Amino acid sequence: MAKDGVEQQGGASARIATFIVRWRWAWLALTVILAALSVARLDRIVPIDPDARIFFAPENPDRQRLDAFEAMFSKDDNLVFLVEPLDGKVFTPQTLALIGQMTEDMWRLPFVRRVNSITNFQHTYAEGDEMIVRDLVEDPANVTPEEAAEAQEIALSRVELRNSMIDPAASITQVQVLFTLPSVNPEVEGPKIYNEARALIDRVEAANPGIDLRLTGSVALNQQFADSGQKDASSLTPLMFAAILLIVGLALRSFFGVASVLLIIILSALGGLGALGWMGVQLNSVTVLAPLYVMTLAVASAVHILVSVRQHMVDTEDRKEWARRALTEHMGPIVVACVTTAIGFFSLNFSISPPFRQLGNITGFGVLAAMIYTLTLLPALVAILPFRRQTARPAAGLAMDRIAEFVIARRRPILLGGIVVVAAAAAGVSQLKLEDNFVEYFDESYEFRRDTDYAEERLAGLYQLEFKVDSGREQGINDPAFLKTVDGFAEWLRAQPEVVNVRTLTDTVKRLNMNMHADDPGYMRIPEDADEAAQYLFLYELSIGYGMDLTDQIDVSRQFMRVTFNMRDVTTSDMRDLTGRAEAWLAANGGQSLTAAPTGIVHVFNLISYRDTRAMLTGTAIALVLISAVIMLALRDIRIGLISLIPNVLPAVVGFGLWGYGVGAVTLAIAVVLAATLGIVVDDTVHFLSKYAKARKEGKTAEDSVRYAFSKVGMALFVTTAGLVAGFGVLAQSGFAVNGDLAKLTAITITIALVADFLLLPALLIQLDQRRTPMRIPAPAPALVAAGLIGLGLVAFAKDVMAETPEEKGLAIAMEADRRDLGFGDYTVQGQMILRDSQGQSSTRVFRNMIKERPEGGVGDLSVIVFDEPRDVKGTGLLTHANIEPADDDQWLYLPAVKRVKRISSSNRTGKFVSSEFSYEDLGGQEVDDYDYKWLRDEPCPNLGGTCYVSERTPKNSKSGYSKTIVWIDQAEYRLDQVEFYNRRGEFEKVMTFGGYQQYLGKFWRPDTIRMENRQTGKSTELVWTDYVFNAGLEEGDFDAQRLDRMAR
Amino acid sequence: MRSVSTAWRAERFGAGAALSLAALVFAGLSPCEARAEEADFGPFTPEYAEFFGKIEGEATLFGEGPRFAGQRRHDLSVAIEPTIRAEWLDGDLEFTFTPFARAAAADDDRSHYDIREAKFDFRSGDWEATVGLDRVFWGKTEANHLVDIINQTDAVEDIDDEDNLGQPMVRVSRLTEIGEFSVFYLPYVRTRTFPGQEGRLRSALVVDEDARVIERDGGRWAPSFAARFAGVFGGADIGLSAFNGVARDPTLRPGGFVATPAGPAPTRLVPVYETITQFGFDGQYTSGATLWKAEAIWRDGQEDLRGRERAFVGATGGLEHTLFGVGEGTGFLENADLGLIAEYSIDSRGRNATTIFQNDVILGARLALNDIADTSFLLTSAIDHEFGAASIRLEAETRVTDGWIASLEGVLFVNSGDDPLASDLRDDSFIRMKLAYFW
Repeated sequence: MAKDGVEQQGGASARIATFIVRWRWAWLALTVILAALSVARLDRIVPIDPDARIFFAPENPDRQRLDAFEAMFSKDDNLVFLVEPLDGKVFTPQTLALIGQMTEDMWRLPFVRRVNSITNFQHTYAEGDEMIVRDLVEDPANVTPEEAAEAQEIALSRVELRNSMIDPAASITQVQVLFTLPSVNPEVEGPKIYNEARALIDRVEAANPGIDLRLTGSVALNQQFADSGQKDASSLTPLMFAAILLIVGLALRSFFGVASVLLIIILSALGGLGALGWMGVQLNSVTVLAPLYVMTLAVASAVHILVSVRQHMVDTEDRKEWARRALTEHMGPIVVACVTTAIGFFSLNFSISPPFRQLGNITGFGVLAAMIYTLTLLPALVAILPFRRQTARPAAGLAMDRIAEFVIARRRPILLGGIVVVAAAAAGVSQLKLEDNFVEYFDESYEFRRDTDYAEERLAGLYQLEFKVDSGREQGINDPAFLKTVDGFAEWLRAQPEVVNVRTLTDTVKRLNMNMHADDPGYMRIPEDADEAAQYLFLYELSIGYGMDLTDQIDVSRQFMRVTFNMRDVTTSDMRDLTGRAEAWLAANGGQSLTAAPTGIVHVFNLISYRDTRAMLTGTAIALVLISAVIMLALRDIRIGLISLIPNVLPAVVGFGLWGYGVGAVTLAIAVVLAATLGIVVDDTVHFLSKYAKARKEGKTAEDSVRYAFSKVGMALFVTTAGLVAGFGVLAQSGFAVNGDLAKLTAITITIALVADFLLLPALLIQLDQRRTPMRIPAPAPALVAAGLIGLGLVAFAKDVMAETPEEKGLAIAMEADRRDLGFGDYTVQGQMILRDSQGQSSTRVFRNMIKERPEGGVGDLSVIVFDEPRDVKGTGLLTHANIEPADDDQWLYLPAVKRVKRISSSNRTGKFVSSEFSYEDLGGQEVDDYDYKWLRDEPCPNLGGTCYVSERTPKNSKSGYSKTIVWIDQAEYRLDQVEFYNRRGEFEKVMTFGGYQQYLGKFWRPDTIRMENRQTGKSTELVWTDYVFNAGLEEGDFDAQRLDRMAR
Repeated sequence: MRSVSTAWRAERFGAGAALSLAALVFAGLSPCEARAEEADFGPFTPEYAEFFGKIEGEATLFGEGPRFAGQRRHDLSVAIEPTIRAEWLDGDLEFTFTPFARAAAADDDRSHYDIREAKFDFRSGDWEATVGLDRVFWGKTEANHLVDIINQTDAVEDIDDEDNLGQPMVRVSRLTEIGEFSVFYLPYVRTRTFPGQEGRLRSALVVDEDARVIERDGGRWAPSFAARFAGVFGGADIGLSAFNGVARDPTLRPGGFVATPAGPAPTRLVPVYETITQFGFDGQYTSGATLWKAEAIWRDGQEDLRGRERAFVGATGGLEHTLFGVGEGTGFLENADLGLIAEYSIDSRGRNATTIFQNDVILGARLALNDIADTSFLLTSAIDHEFGAASIRLEAETRVTDGWIASLEGVLFVNSGDDPLASDLRDDSFIRMKLAYFW
């Protein structure tokens, strides 16, 4: 610190320290309040979110493509049971019986959509003129050896099975179970399936000693993400506490000292987690370790204060004075260190991967909490608790003096050597390979990893890529030219060395063509005629078994087809290379109309490091600028601040380089390392520089100032760095590579930083800061920079907090739609409801609807529906005073025959309105507050044209008949375009489409037709609206229950 | 809004054409004349008019042979109830005319006609006024309509107390923030219809309607007055009412005594309409799928079964709970709603009460299939706690095709012997089938 700055700050610090110590009891109360705030929302962060996809932000374009792909075909949540008979023969009566039994049993797993095995494989063949479709093994329980041999021959001959369901040696097979998860309670659904599957495996293995069963698949993968989080938390937390106790115990040798530090770090961790709770985000496999980050980082500040207390207790008996002096001395550096660390972590908000944003926020808030507790609670504890006074001077930093002398004497060789070492190490950065392999995220201590590796080695693993091939027009998949191209593409893929198997519909089409020509192998090709292809597929669809259809192979409009393939022994770059080649092949052979794009969860992971590294470049740069600015401000010296950049940035670069030489492959964790470590390594620099600057300002030479700095803080820096390295060393033990890599890289970087601070920094200072006077920052500058900092800081770290989350965007869309429809006042409209059953029988209802807006919040609109037809219900009136969910609406029914107005129960959300496909819920008041929202993506509107927002709505009322609805709202006018309804079981049930929008009063859009189709029953209801009249002069009194008899005419 | 809906409906059903049809019904003119030209009432030509109604045929079969001479085992009958409505002043002035007529094969006294409605309604802001014959229903409960008093019951139509005779009245009401206040002036007494000598569902002694006595100055033109408040308070719908005037339910006094060896014996019942004062409360609280209902009255001025005149209190209440989508997930009755009804009625006069609901438990179930035909079933049973008598009633209804409703009604009287008011009906269990056309 500059001379006058130090004096002033010292004066200010002293005054603040006195204030803090005087009000020591108040800080205990403040602690209680802060702790209460921290835990208030903690219930929202558990349980751990079990989903591999948490790494993909909704705005990640790869994720959006994957979502769109899955919406078009199917979202394959699967489990794969690898079945290996120990005798090496799958096609024996016993094994087939077991597989058949397993295939049956799997249907009893929750949320199951389909079970695939070699026994229920749909085998087609010709018998005379007939095409026969049957299970490959029709009665698995009673198979003769001959039948088994025949089945083996068929199975091995089928390209659909080879290397996916059965290996070429017929020694291992799999039973694949596909699930459709309702996604209502994600933390329950997956684990429920997984646990039942595990139990099933145990039963089967117990009953069949000759069988080896292994389990993999996406459900198991998700389970692994949750389990690894729990495992990390439960195994690393005690280790971390042990490490901290050891180090702090050694450094302080004081029971109350250790107890105070423990209290501080636990409170700080709670503070960080509490911030997550207030943001309403669940923990996941990455953030589960965030509290340990906070603890590691919080220890340092607390130790600085307590070491200082230890020094001052020699001079005076007054424990309040210990605290006051320690605070005066360290308040400034601690604030700077904590703020810079927080800035570094907050800059993780630039990551495209949400878990890292959350990690950054938890740690950032945790460190800020640590700062507050260390500067308030800790001095209070020192002043209050009966710390034992030690009167012996602490062992002098003899080692530190030696280092100081060494550096001063050999500063030139150190600088030169440093440059060489840094350059050599930095060259290693080029050796880094971004490898995001979600299976290898888990080390081999995980059964899932071992089973999945085994599956990949023997049959097919989880490295599955998808191509969505576009035929360019509806029904285009029947086009022989298109089918031939896709077939050629599949064959090309099969010829690639990395590819294990390829699954696509063209194989089925070829086979059907052969079957339809009396199994003549010459016809094992694509039919020449589009009608033929269409007919074969139609026939095939009619005759395949329960739970099977083609909708996961081709889309509803029959424009897109799916090509799925598995790879083996591939790295991320191999896969990127293969997709590149595949796209090139398609471009060369597909003609103009055919386009295809790769997707699949593998593909998203493939690109995530690449995308995240680019995104984090910005974040890291901003963090660097902000942190340097903080240092310059704190030291009030531009030159020293600039010098500090070198020891701050170098360690991460050197760390990356060493990693590149040593390991090479790195996960997406690497992208955030620089930003995260920057804030940490700065602490040492700040402590060192502040002492150095102080000495310089007292008129000492650069050499003497270095000596002074070493003697004052050298030991403390060594101790705290050792603590940090130990802490991150513990975190590095995580079996989850994303966490492990991040911690290892951080530990390496911090270690290098200490070396740099002890050797490079003093050498640099002496070299560059020889005779010149300090470059002081003019007086108004600090204020300006501070203002800029605060502004920039807010922008930087609030990206995740303040920028729109998908939830906020979804809500914003709904609110905008609601806002645009605000102020319509009232209107009347004539309705006609045409009910059609699946046989095409129809029945019609005619009614009038009168609607009055209630603009005040907290209530919905008023509505009267009066029936005119059928004539026997003529004059029946339904009055609704809509309320906001979960409150029921108020409803009255007027029955003209008995002249009676009856208040009726409106708790019936799910019932069908006059037996139409519209439930009361669909027709009832739709208020913004009735749902939780989540924006999913933007895509072309299915009905209106233009682009639509697609959002997911989750009803707040548990009585709702839906688990969720997907809503398309057009971006131009915020009109409803389409709504998809998913029933309570999570199944797609109904779709509602809107048409014939017209604008009234120059503002309000109303549809002419609303069509509700039930995709499960084939029934549909069409609502036709005519004669909208706005400003019809309706008054609230018209909607009084006592006036319903008058309205209902 | 009136003008809008009016305009729309006028388009669908020309006002003039409707009036022509109305004229046809009024005057019994031939269709040719009605069709000749559209009616023109000069400045009084309605802005909107419509003509609709229903016509129904019914067949009744009694389970047991007649108890009294002249009765038959079955009955066939037809009824018609058309409505003409016209509107002026943007719908603020409205005229409604609903005549009713029934022709019954078995009982001359069941063949009857009535003007259900013939009234002008006028509305201005919060004020409303009605002049003419009208039907007004008060109350909340399902079985026993204690509070409902404005209209006379049309007792030959059905025994369920749901059909009313049109009541001449002047009504003025005002809608306020808290609810609607109404006052009624009822200048004329409608007397109850009773089955004749040949009719089933009657008491042992025939009620002689011609010998009626109205115990209030003015006879048939004796005035009655009523007032009512009805409002909604959150989940509660509350009604308060007061009535002073001629009772709607007459006391039946034996008359036409003849000498018999055992002494003088009555040959008929004379309906005596006393002057009464009644205060009533009716309320319903709606809580989710459960409706809690209650009605209570205090009435003074009427004789009990022993001929003593004293004030009494009657109360009824209970709940209706609906199970929505009872069959959901089963594939059977997926969308059907099952409503369960339980009510209890009590009367402070106990065994001497002039109502059959003096100490009765009413249990019922309402099943609405919610199908396109709007098929529904209503099963109610009233069990008399005092006498053990029970009546069970099943109503079923479905739409055959648009405009045509077929319905079935079955009533079973069980163990009616000891109940002084029900014992005469013990052999009158019946099934009634109806087919109605609505136009």
